[in-house]
Amino acid sequence: MAAAVSARWLRFRGGPAFLQTARRAGVGEAKLCCRFYPGSASLPKVEGTNATGIEEIVIPKKKTWDKVAVLQALASTVNRDPTAVPYVFQDDPYLIPTSAMESRSFLLAKKSGENAAKFIVNSHPKYFQKDVAEPHIPCLMPESLEPQIEEVSEAALKERIRLRRVKASVDLFDQLLQAGTTVSLETTNSLLDLLCYYGDQEPPADCPYRQTEHAENLEEATETNVQTSKMKTIPWKAQNNAERIFALIPEKNARSYCTMIQGMVKHRAYAQALNLYTELLNNRLHADVYTFNALIEAKMLIASEKFEEKWNNILDLLKHMVAQKVKPNLQTFNAVLKCLRKFYMHGRLPALQTLREMKYLGIEPSLATYHHIIHLFYHRGSSLKTSSLIIYDIMNELEGRKFSPRDLDDDKFFQLAMNVCSSLRDLELAYRIHHLLNTGDNRKLIGGDLQRNFYYSKFFSLICSMEQIDVTLKWYKDLIPSVFFPHSQALIDLLQALDVSNRLEMVPQIWKDSKEYGHTFRANLREEILMLLARDKHPPELQVAFADCAADIKSTYESQDALQTAHDWPANTLQYIAVLFLRGGRTQEAWKMLALFKKHNKIPRNELLEEFMDTAKASDSPALAIEVVKLASAFSLPVCENLAQRVMMDFTVNPEQKEALGNLTISNSSSDGDSSSDSDIGEDKRER
Amino acid sequence: MLRRIPALIRPRPFSGLPLSSGNWDVSVAVCVPPTARSGTGRTENNIQRHFGTGSCIYSKKDSQSVPANEISQKTAETQGDREETQKKNLLDILKDMKVELSTVNVQTTKPRGKRPSAGLQAAVSRHRRAPEDPPKNRNEFLSSELVAAASAVADSLPWDKQTTKSELLRQLQQHEEETRTQKDREKSKISFRHIISEMKIARSPSARVSTRPQHQIQFDEEMDNSSLHLEKPSDFKQRKCLFKGKRLGIFDIKAFADEAPETEASPSLWEIEFAKQLATVNEQPLGNGFEEMIQWTKEGKLWEFPVNNEAGFDDDGSEFHDHIFLDKHLEGFPKQGPIRIFMELVTSGLSKNPYLSVKQKVDHIEWFRNYFNEKQDILKENKVEFT
Repeated sequence: MAAAVSARWLRFRGGPAFLQTARRAGVGEAKLCCRFYPGSASLPKVEGTNATGIEEIVIPKKKTWDKVAVLQALASTVNRDPTAVPYVFQDDPYLIPTSAMESRSFLLAKKSGENAAKFIVNSHPKYFQKDVAEPHIPCLMPESLEPQIEEVSEAALKERIRLRRVKASVDLFDQLLQAGTTVSLETTNSLLDLLCYYGDQEPPADCPYRQTEHAENLEEATETNVQTSKMKTIPWKAQNNAERIFALIPEKNARSYCTMIQGMVKHRAYAQALNLYTELLNNRLHADVYTFNALIEAKMLIASEKFEEKWNNILDLLKHMVAQKVKPNLQTFNAVLKCLRKFYMHGRLPALQTLREMKYLGIEPSLATYHHIIHLFYHRGSSLKTSSLIIYDIMNELEGRKFSPRDLDDDKFFQLAMNVCSSLRDLELAYRIHHLLNTGDNRKLIGGDLQRNFYYSKFFSLICSMEQIDVTLKWYKDLIPSVFFPHSQALIDLLQALDVSNRLEMVPQIWKDSKEYGHTFRANLREEILMLLARDKHPPELQVAFADCAADIKSTYESQDALQTAHDWPANTLQYIAVLFLRGGRTQEAWKMLALFKKHNKIPRNELLEEFMDTAKASDSPALAIEVVKLASAFSLPVCENLAQRVMMDFTVNPEQKEALGNLTISNSSSDGDSSSDSDIGEDKRER
Repeated sequence: MLRRIPALIRPRPFSGLPLSSGNWDVSVAVCVPPTARSGTGRTENNIQRHFGTGSCIYSKKDSQSVPANEISQKTAETQGDREETQKKNLLDILKDMKVELSTVNVQTTKPRGKRPSAGLQAAVSRHRRAPEDPPKNRNEFLSSELVAAASAVADSLPWDKQTTKSELLRQLQQHEEETRTQKDREKSKISFRHIISEMKIARSPSARVSTRPQHQIQFDEEMDNSSLHLEKPSDFKQRKCLFKGKRLGIFDIKAFADEAPETEASPSLWEIEFAKQLATVNEQPLGNGFEEMIQWTKEGKLWEFPVNNEAGFDDDGSEFHDHIFLDKHLEGFPKQGPIRIFMELVTSGLSKNPYLSVKQKVDHIEWFRNYFNEKQDILKENKVEFT
């Protein structure tokens, strides 16, 4: 202890002490040596500090940190800021995305800029040779993509294989063969790897962001995307270079067969793959686990077989694995489960058995495993009443766990689970899933843009429909727009939630937001908002705000008019806007709305005219009232007569006006026959 | 045969299938109680026995009895209060029963949507009559009714009747044996009271009952055994049924236990590409500046943390004391005298040099050792001691 204390004391003495002790250290003052260790106070006991002289000094191992450990610790302290844009975007008002479309195009722009730069650097390496970085940074330098070895040799072939030059390697292989050189089996196998992986085609240029179409119905979209991406792979051609080279190998080993089988499955030649597997068995070779995984996939995708047959085939394959002493891995079972998904109801029991088999073998199921099982148990077509409770089981199992990606389908779990929640209408479960998503680094497994949007839209609409309005608004503030940009349907859900809990004063704010999120021209959203605003009467100050909102919405219609010539205003919209203007005290504009009715060949409803009459009465202006009646007769509405009577009763009209009124009603009743047919036409138009 | 009936009714409510308050269900429920109560402990054995086959016959009956259900739907409304008492009765019966988890019939080989034939009808009607019979054959290996029922089912199916029948009977015998062996063991009991109390009797069966594939029922039997407690999501803390139950039974863990980890050669293209794809699975846009720095560090664009003067200096993992305390390399040099002093100065200088690796420093000292060795003559001439 004394030594430690003195050591600590000495440590503060600085430079000269260092030199001195460093020199003396070798001479035998061992106990002082320890003073320079970081944290010497916590050193292991220095034995025999009494003056016995020579003793063993245990020098503690230097503690090595992972190079990113500090940064990871720091990163974990940063929480998401719901008021800020995501970090990936440029922090510049002009470059902050305001809609899903924009955010996507900004990300793509950023990524494509990087790719373009990389492309230029790699295609003109001679201009980028100056190495400014010290220490050297390899990733900033052009990659050498051109083969360096010119001569015809196996080393050159290996290099071309490493550079993934499919055609060049095949050519070189042929040249070697013609020259009579034998290529080693290992090199040939890696050439086969290359050919099989890329299906005898040059590898496609890397495209990190797959182009996915923007679709409202997301799940369908993702499903079909998976399908199409599968379809996009180049089909296996009979007698391609892979098959040719494979046939040329005199002593094929298991790896040659395995890579061929995997390649055939990858490029959709399932029957050929299965045949090749038989050949492999005939040659008394053993396949590896990856090949079995591919074969399971092949069995699943092979056409025209019944459930039992397919399932028995798969079980056979698994038995082959046992016979060949191949240990199955996670992908094996996930492939089986994926296969069972095709069988809908029939797949459920085998799926559970498969899961138990996994557990028995000590293979930890990944999120993809659960994804397949949930998919199996909550098929889109099956109704709520038959839905099983297995998702609760699964959530029980998963709660509080942290996941890292282990299967390619791991990122599909969360959106599916949330989808099931929303079909079960179970908010509590949704919260649990959301909590799981935010455990550890799990949020990274939410998947791509599309899947994240899908997850959050489902989550948010579930909240909208089941949660109290205050909590809903809290979620709204938290999630939108920092996590996702809502669809118009999500906003309509929110509006309905506001309606249910009688918080309509929020509606103008929502309209402002939705304009920001790029839903300015969504007809259903605008109509929903107008309907909610116009449905009931509110206190005057609120009505003024509503009228402002209505004016804003009206202006969007007007700008749409300017853009599209054949644009049509729905009658309801006109009606609601006019009503809102009237209630908000913007009588002038309301009258202008009536002109719009005429212009667009729409018929105002009786309630609207009554409302106009009310305002005329409120301002005590018989002239206005008569205008209303005139208008009604101009539209040849049957309500005209009632209105006229009301004018007679409620207003003090001078004889001139009385006469005018009389004329109006007479002309109306005389042309009654016409008017009904007219209004019919009008109705028709409005329906459209 | 009576014992079978409760078991038959059972799958319905749990499968989420709307329990029709149709006539036969109800009448069965009503007529059951007295005998069932008299059965007490010993009947339980038989319940288990017939349990598995029940589902398969039952599912047929289900699709067949739909029209009746639909007709009875109209009367169902008036039966509301009767239902209450029936429910209570049912609860009493089920309270007295225990159900084995594992006796599940896994017969997925039946074609879907088969029309029940006349033979089956007969079998079914026999089954319905069954409750009136006194429970006498309880200890027989397989009751004659069951054999008859099995042959009726076999008649209704399109395949070889003899094999089907024998298959069915074999299956039944298996159940018998299983129950016998498992009877003695600790049974996993399910609190039926709890289940029943949670269960709702849905009133209107919809048309989709008829479209329902029979496998679902078989499956539900299994499923519901495992998810019974789950009726209420709140009390699932005590269960972990997801992994309990039958497994495929193909792999044997012992077969892989002794296997040595594969001596991995350089990964093939397939493995490399798989790893790459896997890495893209959790690729997310960067969340904050630190994450960006992590990415830069991984790409090699940033100095590695902790920042010190060893960046980019690979020294075979030697540590700082190897760099600083070089005195141990001075063995073989004289303990005193000018050479010692000189060498100590050399080591002191070397210990402060951050640019050389440990090996280079040692080489440096070794160079001096050789140098002095070569100059032995001169040293001796000048009376300087070396060695």
